[in-house]
Amino acid sequence: MTIAYERYHIPLKNVAGRAPRIPEFEISRADNCVNCGRCERACIYGVHERSGTDPREMADPINRFCKNCFRCIAECPQGALTMSEGEEYASLGRGVWTSNRMSTIWGEAETGKIPVFGAGYRGMFAGDGYDSMWTDMSEIVRPTRDGIHGREFISTSADIGRIPSFLEFLPSGEIATNMPPLFEIPIPMVLDATRTSVLPENVEDGIAIAAKALRTLVFVPLDRTSRAAREGCEGCVVPVVPAHTEPSSLRLPDGVRMVEVVVDGSWRDEMEALTATFEDKVVSVRIRAERGVEETILDMLDMGVAVANVEYSDDGMEYGDDGRHAMESLRAIHAKLVSAARRDEMTIMAGGGLAAAEHVPKSIICGADVVCLDKSLLIALECRNCIDCDPVSCPVDVSSASPSWVSDRISNLVGAWRDQLLEVLGAMGLREARRLRGEFGRAIFFEDLERDFTSSLDGGERT
Amino acid sequence: MNRFKVVRADTCISCCLCESLCPYGVHRRVEGHTRILPPDDRKCIGPACEANDFFCVANCPTNSLSLRESDNFKSLGDPRWTADMILATWHQAETGAPLPLDHPANEGRSGGGFDELRLVLPEKTPRYDPDDMSTSMELNRRGTGERIRTSVPFYGGGMSFGSISVHTMLARVVAARKWDTFVSTGEGGYPKLLVPYSDSIITQIATGLFGVREETIQRSRIIEFKYAQGAKPGLGGHLLGDKNTPDVARMREAVPYTSLFSPFPFHSVYSVEDHKKHFDWALSINPKALLSAKVSTPNDVEMVAVGSYYAGAHIVHLDGGYGGTGAAPEIAKKNIAMPIEYAIPKVHRFLMAEGIRDEVTLVASGGIRTALDVAKAIALGADGVVTGTSELVALGCVRCGNCESGRGCPRGIATTDPELERQSTSDWGSSILDNLYSSWRAQWCELLARLEMSDISELVGRTDLLRYRQRPAKEVGE
Repeated sequence: MTIAYERYHIPLKNVAGRAPRIPEFEISRADNCVNCGRCERACIYGVHERSGTDPREMADPINRFCKNCFRCIAECPQGALTMSEGEEYASLGRGVWTSNRMSTIWGEAETGKIPVFGAGYRGMFAGDGYDSMWTDMSEIVRPTRDGIHGREFISTSADIGRIPSFLEFLPSGEIATNMPPLFEIPIPMVLDATRTSVLPENVEDGIAIAAKALRTLVFVPLDRTSRAAREGCEGCVVPVVPAHTEPSSLRLPDGVRMVEVVVDGSWRDEMEALTATFEDKVVSVRIRAERGVEETILDMLDMGVAVANVEYSDDGMEYGDDGRHAMESLRAIHAKLVSAARRDEMTIMAGGGLAAAEHVPKSIICGADVVCLDKSLLIALECRNCIDCDPVSCPVDVSSASPSWVSDRISNLVGAWRDQLLEVLGAMGLREARRLRGEFGRAIFFEDLERDFTSSLDGGERT
Repeated sequence: MNRFKVVRADTCISCCLCESLCPYGVHRRVEGHTRILPPDDRKCIGPACEANDFFCVANCPTNSLSLRESDNFKSLGDPRWTADMILATWHQAETGAPLPLDHPANEGRSGGGFDELRLVLPEKTPRYDPDDMSTSMELNRRGTGERIRTSVPFYGGGMSFGSISVHTMLARVVAARKWDTFVSTGEGGYPKLLVPYSDSIITQIATGLFGVREETIQRSRIIEFKYAQGAKPGLGGHLLGDKNTPDVARMREAVPYTSLFSPFPFHSVYSVEDHKKHFDWALSINPKALLSAKVSTPNDVEMVAVGSYYAGAHIVHLDGGYGGTGAAPEIAKKNIAMPIEYAIPKVHRFLMAEGIRDEVTLVASGGIRTALDVAKAIALGADGVVTGTSELVALGCVRCGNCESGRGCPRGIATTDPELERQSTSDWGSSILDNLYSSWRAQWCELLARLEMSDISELVGRTDLLRYRQRPAKEVGE
């Protein structure tokens, strides 16, 4: 058999939104406007135009074109124009899902492009969680650079399943080790359709189509498996089995490669039956992250679990009052498995709180093999992240979107995020996402920098 | 831009008392008009005016006037470049007057780095004569080569022809010459118009070698090798197609309106020895030139700096992660490589321990916005800084961030669009920058006087004068 060289590529196309874009800034025209038209000449984005019905008057500013350059405001002879923060924009966003991040995702899902702008960084110096780390870069080179501009190839593949730490051979030369099920996906991102509220069928279908196109996995509730597995998506579908389901009662579509079970405190009793039933599949266990999750995961590894899917809160925190951020939690998990010398025997997936492209490489650096995209998938569909999600009153009427629109938007988002992962890998001089995993040494942590910094200030307060 | 909004209600009877009261000219009626004009609130000094007898709001017989912070002001700026800081920079650039050292616009509200560092200054300012103060920076501290001193502790950072307009370039160079300092061309060469000023120009060499010719290297007193840029460390330079106008393309010997990519890294430089060979290549064309290595701030930045020294660099230029750019992926600006504040003391102390600090000119850039940021960078251990964004802000930039796309800057600063760039002239620009530099120098002189110093080089590495206040930063991601 010959295998042709094939370079993984996510096709991107422009997929216009269905709802009007929420402008970050709004320009208003006061009554003292004398319709002189200076603003029309000043604006290069077409915000100001004369009224179509009465050319003697200026029309209302078209705010979605505004790029906040203030030129019309500075040039208005009457001082009649005012720029203010968009009310709707300002009221968007909760927790790590800020208005800025949501609007970035909308843009990425629409164009599939990496957000590129002029002018330097404009945010806070540092912050909590993933905002308290920087990735390293390599000043003087290693080969690589760069997947997106078409030179050397950077692999973003990830392995799903248990990789035996060593192989045993028979005297005849054949492998004696019983090889566990193991497969590879071309991107370290999987789609999770179980974490958000019950999805309308069109969205579910769209996510499954996207997973197939991206050749990644989609996690779906058990009772929706057969629907999602239509159209040859079986290999992508991962049924998520509720806790305490009798494994022998399950009928899974042919071609399913992986199955995930939700567990609670009594998981130990069920594990044996599960791994025995699904001998030929990768068995993943979904575990809600709480403090000390690394101990549980090591126990699970002992019981033969090949994949731990660690679920963090929407803000990327462990559950419970003393929960840590995924950044620390994942580092603890990775370190635990490394010190047991068994890191590669388990795939660690992490979901929750992944609200921006940079969270993907940062999760991987902290120790995740693969990240689960959940809420970001909905945001890609222009979801406004309402507190009460109700398909009937959905402000963007998500249930009327076509599955192909859903799939294209999600492919764009994943494509843009993968390209940004490539940027980070290129800057670090790495040619494989696998080698990024657990590379704490190639990250720069706020805590460490602050400690060094304060100790270098002779007059500084020391902590 | 107006900071305050003065509102005149319909109840105004146009008695024009306010016009006769306000000394700033906010209120005006044109001779012959029945009604008074809308208030020109750009001139208003705000609620502080309350203390004055002539405060229009209090004096209006019909209570028709009110005053509040303007929405425009609230929509301007960001945590790193606050609206206050932008307006203060404009004011300095217009008047040349120094900003008081305790003015809030001296720092941003990003909750870390320079914004949380304060210089400990004695209260009293002794009498001093600015002419006796030295704010100069030595660019060659090695035994060999031309001695070059600038009169100010900074030079202008690389912004290429193509990313900014020729007027902006010329304005920077003219101002730099006046202050005996330099401007780096960035990667893209420089148009003929700038050739007479080549004594004040640093030629940058980056991987694309755009605009780099034998004669540009021969003309330059300083050659800068850009190994990396803080805003996009480990990524290459990128000029989007629309900004590559025929003039720019000719300079870069490229095809007009194609995207020009200057890839990271120099594939010929994988070691200190390669680094030295790279320098030797430039020296073989111009043996008198000083050499600068512009690098960004990875974890091992101190090793990189030492390597550059041993390769023969006169100037080690650290460009921190929060620095400016004409176009960079958002993910790179915030997430790759450390902010400059951490890198300076790290490198300074490492060079000291290596025993070579006295032979290197260490300059820093990447998020240095005000005169006080410069002083703080110096106190952290740099000899001086490299400026960029602050100059553009002085020229009217509002940091809208649209420099990269389409025709470029709507305000004509970072564009090569022939129509847009007509908004300013280089004469105006150079006097604006001249003002900004005077204002900064006056601030440094006062600072030095307060510290009883007479030369800014005495401030280098004086971390004992800095206080770092820890304050939780919550607004991240905004």
